[in-house]
Amino acid sequence: MMPDKKQVYIVDDDESVCRALKALLVTYDFVVETFTSAEKFFSAVPYSALGCLIMDVHMSGMDGWEAHKRIVASGSKRPVILISGDKNSGFKERALKAGAVGFLQKPFNGKMLIDLINQVF
Amino acid sequence: MKTIKKKSPKLKQKPLISKKSGISLKLSGQKKKSLPKNSIRNQKRRQLKRRASDQDKTRNHLGEVIRQQADELKFKNGQIRSWEDKDRLAEEQVHIRTKAMDSTADGIFIIDAQKPNFPVIYTNQSFQKMTGYTKREILGRDYFDLYGTDADPRIVREIKHTMLQGKSFHGEMLSFQKNGKKYWDLLRIAPVRDPSGTVTHYVGIQADVTLIRERDLEIKEQREELLHVTRVGKLAEFVSSLAHEISQPLTAILSYAQAAQRILAGREPQLQEILQYIINDDQRASEVIRRLRSLLKKSKPTLESFDINVLINETAMLMATDVTVRNKVLKTELDTNLPAIRGDRIQLQQVLLNLISNSLDAMEGRDDSRELVISTSRKGPNMILVEVKDSGCGIPAENMKKLFSHFFTSKPDGLGMGLSISRSIVEEHGGRLEAKNNPDRGATFYFTISVDKKDVS
Repeated sequence: MMPDKKQVYIVDDDESVCRALKALLVTYDFVVETFTSAEKFFSAVPYSALGCLIMDVHMSGMDGWEAHKRIVASGSKRPVILISGDKNSGFKERALKAGAVGFLQKPFNGKMLIDLINQVF
Repeated sequence: MKTIKKKSPKLKQKPLISKKSGISLKLSGQKKKSLPKNSIRNQKRRQLKRRASDQDKTRNHLGEVIRQQADELKFKNGQIRSWEDKDRLAEEQVHIRTKAMDSTADGIFIIDAQKPNFPVIYTNQSFQKMTGYTKREILGRDYFDLYGTDADPRIVREIKHTMLQGKSFHGEMLSFQKNGKKYWDLLRIAPVRDPSGTVTHYVGIQADVTLIRERDLEIKEQREELLHVTRVGKLAEFVSSLAHEISQPLTAILSYAQAAQRILAGREPQLQEILQYIINDDQRASEVIRRLRSLLKKSKPTLESFDINVLINETAMLMATDVTVRNKVLKTELDTNLPAIRGDRIQLQQVLLNLISNSLDAMEGRDDSRELVISTSRKGPNMILVEVKDSGCGIPAENMKKLFSHFFTSKPDGLGMGLSISRSIVEEHGGRLEAKNNPDRGATFYFTISVDKKDVS
């Protein structure tokens, strides 16, 4: 891994979303790893590893809220961007309150995501 | 003789009676003859005896004749009496029947089947009342004229056909009175045959079932409305899960296309253009879902007191770009002397946005109709009237009734939810949302909204 490239993790139970977001982020020179569940992410990536996390809220198994709570509880400083396909005006507020650095409503423009990542990481 | 005493005065003048009186006179004449008193007494006595016996015979014979005639008279008299009774009875029955037919609420009519054009030869009062024609107008007239010119010709044909086949008709139809007023007519027409089986008349009974019919319709409408509400509730749930499912692939498509655009970076301009089209359409699909979701979302209203004119100005500003792009003009004619209203600002703005957007759609593609006017005015002590008037294509009469129904739309890409949701919002605010066509052109949607009671001047 080249040190000048930023690491991004994507957790979404929709494989296609993972693959597409990775395809896009790679064009911006990010190093991207994808996981289709929070459990898989936790078992593969230690809290201490650097990197921004883009995570879906609605997932089977552990959902995005729960996973985020766990990261915060661990004392990890990992920036987390929550994304969701459900439109609920309360989600953004809830995400930010919980300590997420951003919330995006799917489908979102790639540019918005890139800007957000660059802003926080 | 008892029978004669009993006879009715009419009978006295009949010839039969004078014949009877003649017999009685002859009898009394015979009785008056005296007997001789001489020596040839025995002979005379014999003669007398014989004569007496003859007389007796004659008397007996006469008595027999009288008896016979009396019996005959008795019989004939009885016969006459029974005829009379029958006549009286028949007369009475006709009277009762006529009275019954006239006092019944059902319309009754009789048609002559042996003449062309179905002339009516009898009508009771209820039939006249029901059809709105006088007895004079009805009698002799073609029965089928009495349905009114607006009656469904297919049903009229069916009735005529059934009658001509000698069958009974039973059915319900929409008929029209002389003055054009419509009524639901429960109709039975049956053929009347002579002994040879030929149809001589048609007799019909009809009842005005408009009220029952209207009540049925009302119940049906309420049921449908309930179904709609349930359907909308179910639809909202469905849309919500559908939106979530669709947003996943839309997110992927958008990201793929954007990634590809970046990979091409300045090369393959044609491919770049295609990718841009994919991105645009992805965003269009997202927009449809967003709109659908926001329309079906029903949150609790947050009531606050505010100036409706301010909200209208804000909304007009929001729409300004859209209005300009579409080459239209939005004007406001706001009554500056209005009290504050009480309501949910967001929801009422949704109503305004919906009405403005509909008006712009109605004026789409018409260079001659450009003006959209929003006006406010006071309506009574407790209400404010908001009108959104366009100069567009107007509302076809057949759409007027369905305008506020769920899922009704006249637009190719419409959802048919905007106006029905707008109406339910306005109604939740204690107002009414209605539509009318303008006398010149275009349509006006207008709603009332309650003023804040604390602010009533």
